[in-house]
Amino acid sequence: MITDITIGQYFPSDSPLHRLDARVKLVITLLYIVSLFLIKSFIGYAFVIIALAIVIKVSKVPFKFMVKGLKSLVFIIIFTALINVFTVKGGETLVTFWKLSITTEGVFFAIKMALRIILLIIGSSLLTLTTTPIKLTDGIEALLKPLSKIGVPAHDIAMMMTIALRFIPTLLDETDKIIKAQQARGADFDTGRLRDKARALVPILVPLFISAFRRADELAMAMESRCYNGGANRTRMNVMKVTSIDYTAIILFVVYWVVIIAMRIIL
Amino acid sequence: MKIVRAENVSYEYTKVVEIQGENVERKLMALDNINIDIEEGSFIAVLGHNGSGKSTFAKHINALITPSSGTVWVDGYDTKDDEQVWNIRQSAGMVFQNPDNQLVATIVEEDIAFGPENLGVEPAEIRKRVDSALQMVGMDGYQKNEPSKLSGGQKQRIAIAGILAMQPKCIVFDEPTAMLDPAGRKDVMETAHRLNKENGITIILITHYMDEAATADKVYVIDDGKIVLSGVPKEVFSQVDKMKGFGLDVPQVTETAYNLRKLGIDIPKDILTVDEMVGAICRLKSNI
Repeated sequence: MITDITIGQYFPSDSPLHRLDARVKLVITLLYIVSLFLIKSFIGYAFVIIALAIVIKVSKVPFKFMVKGLKSLVFIIIFTALINVFTVKGGETLVTFWKLSITTEGVFFAIKMALRIILLIIGSSLLTLTTTPIKLTDGIEALLKPLSKIGVPAHDIAMMMTIALRFIPTLLDETDKIIKAQQARGADFDTGRLRDKARALVPILVPLFISAFRRADELAMAMESRCYNGGANRTRMNVMKVTSIDYTAIILFVVYWVVIIAMRIIL
Repeated sequence: MKIVRAENVSYEYTKVVEIQGENVERKLMALDNINIDIEEGSFIAVLGHNGSGKSTFAKHINALITPSSGTVWVDGYDTKDDEQVWNIRQSAGMVFQNPDNQLVATIVEEDIAFGPENLGVEPAEIRKRVDSALQMVGMDGYQKNEPSKLSGGQKQRIAIAGILAMQPKCIVFDEPTAMLDPAGRKDVMETAHRLNKENGITIILITHYMDEAATADKVYVIDDGKIVLSGVPKEVFSQVDKMKGFGLDVPQVTETAYNLRKLGIDIPKDILTVDEMVGAICRLKSNI
């Protein structure tokens, strides 16, 4: 059934990481990704892996959920590793066949690159695993707010994300109904060549789009009748508050960065 | 006090129609010289078949559209006054037909908070309003639920709660039960009546279900943009021939009473409910 899916990959739990303010989590995740590009040595990677392992432990999210995010990217990781192995030259030459040669430097670089991608994916999936889509949207809105002075429509972007999230299940439900209705009239979606299959989608997409436009029109009217006036003078029921957990997280993250920079200078 | 007053309201719109291969603009009257006074605290029903103009009238009350000529006052504000639009929409909330297309947020409490958030209400006050609104519609405890996983009747009650959180004096229901199953329909109608009786909120129910209209204090029948009948339900529904002429039915028992009278049986013509019918038939029996 396509109608019964959960949006995002939020893993409900009550860990300190879940209680962290979404804005703090967003900024930390971004800076964490930046930090990955500053590491040069294997000791540095070992440090990041240990730090990430502790955070995962604290988050109470089972490790297999992180691996799930990696599965779809295995191909990209292997592909970049292979390219690096054959193209980066330096150090001793290990194997040579035909015109290709593998050097020690190439092997090290390939391993580091793969580690970097894996750490990047696991780290950022921790954000979506421990934050509900609503909090994430609110966080993005709050962080973009300063940019609204230079014309970035922070509130509108957040409202669009909220409405998209709200209508995903509704439109999936509708798609399911349309598919069944077309099948009941003898439509065939499964056989034939790719071109035939693509063409079979037209009678699904056309009614779906028409209905989406109609829904958008009605929603706009309902929002207007509830005094929606854009973001101006709007208050929020749930006010985001930076608490002691957030300060602890910020301090720990500063320590993490100090170590990263120190290692870059010393090693 | 009159919460809604419509004086000589007409609404005209242009529609492009194709006549003999040519596109011609036609002016059509959706509302034609409507006059309505609605007392604060009353429960009124507006009846009409599809395309009669009843939904157009509903949108006038919420200042979603303004009259081409004439004036609508809501809670003393002229709907043509742009500066009063937000006051009008706060005083007169609107519940639409499709519950799916009027909920904004992915969590029930967030959706109910949407209206007060737009009005700039303090966060602590919004929280209080959300909880009491949910209680008023009998959906307490559903704060954290996802609207997409609720039934149609429940979604519609969440939509009502979203309006209640704005603390309106009047709620316009635009065919609120048309897409619901019988259980959901009953829930929504009971909620509307409870809000009217217990909280004194004026209810304007736009519908084409006769049974729902029969429970109102006053009924207006709109046909082709004009008010053709008005009065207490008993007066309106007893005119069975006229109602049928406007493409409307009357409650089943009223029609039965009408048919019995045609056969020469002495039975009151203004029967609206099954209980009244039972009473009338019993009296008839004891007279024989």
